[in-house]
Amino acid sequence: MKKDKLFIIISLFVVLSTILVACGTPAPAEAPAVEEPEAPAVEEPVAAEPVTVDVWFHSGKGEEREVLDAQVTAFNKMQDDIFVNAILLPEGSYNDQVNAGALAGDLPCLLDFDGPFLYNYAWAGYLRPIDDLVPADVKADFLPSIISQGTYGGKLYSLGTFDSGLSIWANKSYLEAAGVRIPTSIDDAWTMDEFMAAMDALMELDEVEYAIDFKLNYGAGEWNSYGFGSIIQSFGGDLIDRSDYLSAEGSLNGPEAVEAMEWFQSLFEDGYAIASPAGDDDFYGSKIAALSWVGHWMYGPHTDAVDGLGEDVVLLPMPILGDKAVTGMGSWNWGLTSTCADPEAAYAFLDYLVGTDEILHMTNANGAVPARKSAIAKSDLFGEGGLLNVFVQQLEGGVALERPVTPAYPVITSAFDTAFLNIVAGADVQTELDKAVATIDQDIADNDGYPLPE
Amino acid sequence: MADNRRTKGFPTFRKKESLLAWLFSTPAIVLLIVFLIIPFVWAIYLSFTNQRLIPNLNIPTEIVGFRNYIRLFEDEAFLRGLLNNFYFVAVVVPIQTLLALGLAILINQELKGMNIFRTIYFGPVVTAMTVVAIVWTFLYNPGEGLINAFLNAISLGNLGPYDWLLDTKLVFPAIMFLSIWQGVGFQMIIYLAGLQEIPSSLYEAAQVDGANKWQQFTNITIPQLRNTTIFVLLSTTILAFKLFDQVKVMTNGGPQNASMTTMVHVVEMGWGQLKVGYASAISIIFFLIVLGVSVIQQSIMKEKGSES
Repeated sequence: MKKDKLFIIISLFVVLSTILVACGTPAPAEAPAVEEPEAPAVEEPVAAEPVTVDVWFHSGKGEEREVLDAQVTAFNKMQDDIFVNAILLPEGSYNDQVNAGALAGDLPCLLDFDGPFLYNYAWAGYLRPIDDLVPADVKADFLPSIISQGTYGGKLYSLGTFDSGLSIWANKSYLEAAGVRIPTSIDDAWTMDEFMAAMDALMELDEVEYAIDFKLNYGAGEWNSYGFGSIIQSFGGDLIDRSDYLSAEGSLNGPEAVEAMEWFQSLFEDGYAIASPAGDDDFYGSKIAALSWVGHWMYGPHTDAVDGLGEDVVLLPMPILGDKAVTGMGSWNWGLTSTCADPEAAYAFLDYLVGTDEILHMTNANGAVPARKSAIAKSDLFGEGGLLNVFVQQLEGGVALERPVTPAYPVITSAFDTAFLNIVAGADVQTELDKAVATIDQDIADNDGYPLPE
Repeated sequence: MADNRRTKGFPTFRKKESLLAWLFSTPAIVLLIVFLIIPFVWAIYLSFTNQRLIPNLNIPTEIVGFRNYIRLFEDEAFLRGLLNNFYFVAVVVPIQTLLALGLAILINQELKGMNIFRTIYFGPVVTAMTVVAIVWTFLYNPGEGLINAFLNAISLGNLGPYDWLLDTKLVFPAIMFLSIWQGVGFQMIIYLAGLQEIPSSLYEAAQVDGANKWQQFTNITIPQLRNTTIFVLLSTTILAFKLFDQVKVMTNGGPQNASMTTMVHVVEMGWGQLKVGYASAISIIFFLIVLGVSVIQQSIMKEKGSES
């Protein structure tokens, strides 16, 4: 019996300690309380204390984190005036932590935002426009998509060091075996008919179990709005009426949007795609899918010589599904907070990050599209003739469309995500889109149409 | 805690004792006030406002009266979430309690290697729910999941494959099943403790009287476990109402709200759609409902207790 008691005590202890550990997870390390130094006195440059700039950054993939760490260290070493105090926050809960920071009035000087989540902060007055800090020639060197992503209410609020690319990756030998035309630039992208015919031909192959992998294993979240909102835009609808951003009525639930989503739903009903992929690698590992609708971040796995397709992968331009080819874009971008004591110092660090060499430093590590034309020209992968040049063409050629530029974006993406997942699971398209519109319009009305800050 | 007037007449050590009691409970009281009472009162206030998660510095938060509460009744996801919570409690609480009792009796035997079984049954409890949920997402996969393969094998190919997590009829039972699997070990341990508190002399006396195993079980084990059962039922009910982790990880409430729960909806409204005011209103209503259920449950159990 003694043994049993011991077992119970140990078990309960284990449970208790699990609970305690769960509760006791330390809050993200606070910035070491560095006294805000007085503006350095001009007379005595030797004794001048460096200005401290607090920076928050999402700790994404390992390579991104390492590069940023190296950049911070290098920047602190190369000059004595500014000390960058970078704090990395876990990516999974990054948005939540920034929200909490804003709520507590405790945002740092410089921080990065995931794509369109920026506008909410800009609208709410937490961010400072940076038009006065960015020289015109630097601004002109950026991809137009980066500038439109960073612009809200006619003012530039952010710069990114990289953009994202979204398109269709294909298994080259399958395409050749099926006798499908392989387009190489955005000017000869597949039409809808060609796309469907290509999928039919690919399905005929013995190795292919289903034609296209939509990465639905990513689950609920921003992927669905980023990856598939563009289908609605291609058909002529949109997630919201972009003329005044006051309503989604008729845009997200109009005949065009319904047609787009019904087409998408039919891909699952007719077996071209599956709603619950068994894992991440149906396209590049087990090779049971011939095409993969996904972004630049899969470049590494796709081209891996051992676990991926190696040389056997080709990047296709986004097909013209409806009236025109449209694809998603946008990625992490840096903004300055309005409470920042020394915006010039913060911008000095941002200026360093968006330098051509530093951009390449980052994009060589994470495989994203370099944000500046001068950097793209220096890149083998993205430059003329490179494997991923299609992404650049889409971003420069007006195929890539930024997600809705409105503070209502969190609600738009949440509502669309819900509708999208239900549609994939077989729900009635019109009903689901109507519900999403009701949610979005109610939120906009509740906030008096999100009036622009003066 | 006796107030001052009443303690006046008592010897001084009583006063001292009372002072000491307050002293020792102060840390707990302070923590409760700071982390439970104040946030709750604050939430009541917020539920009458249009508070946003990221407040606009130029547009002050406004009082909107009962708007948030009125909207609740038109909110399909909220109503479905509430219904699912009750559905979950109605199915999971009795099954989990019975299974826990059964397992506790099984592992309460003097057999070699029993500790191995105890560890196996207890394993899921100490595994983080997020991890369990991700593993079960793979198990439920229609293409390569183990569960479909198992059903297919035992039915000689007649059953499945089912798309467990995307089928509106299957998704919630699938989540219930894994929840029971994960949670049953904890109640089992409580029952095991209860079983071992029963004096063996009672069983010996019953054997002398010629009672068989079943009679011993119904007349000694069950009545002796009354307090344990009350604790298990209450704690399981409250845990069941808090259903969140597995749903958030596996389905986020979908498809078509089929697996929605109130907690998932609150988090989506507050953190996803930034409507803190509305999320507060949901929380308050939900709190009142759970409070009501607990009070009713407790009073029923007290009545039963006084009968016997």
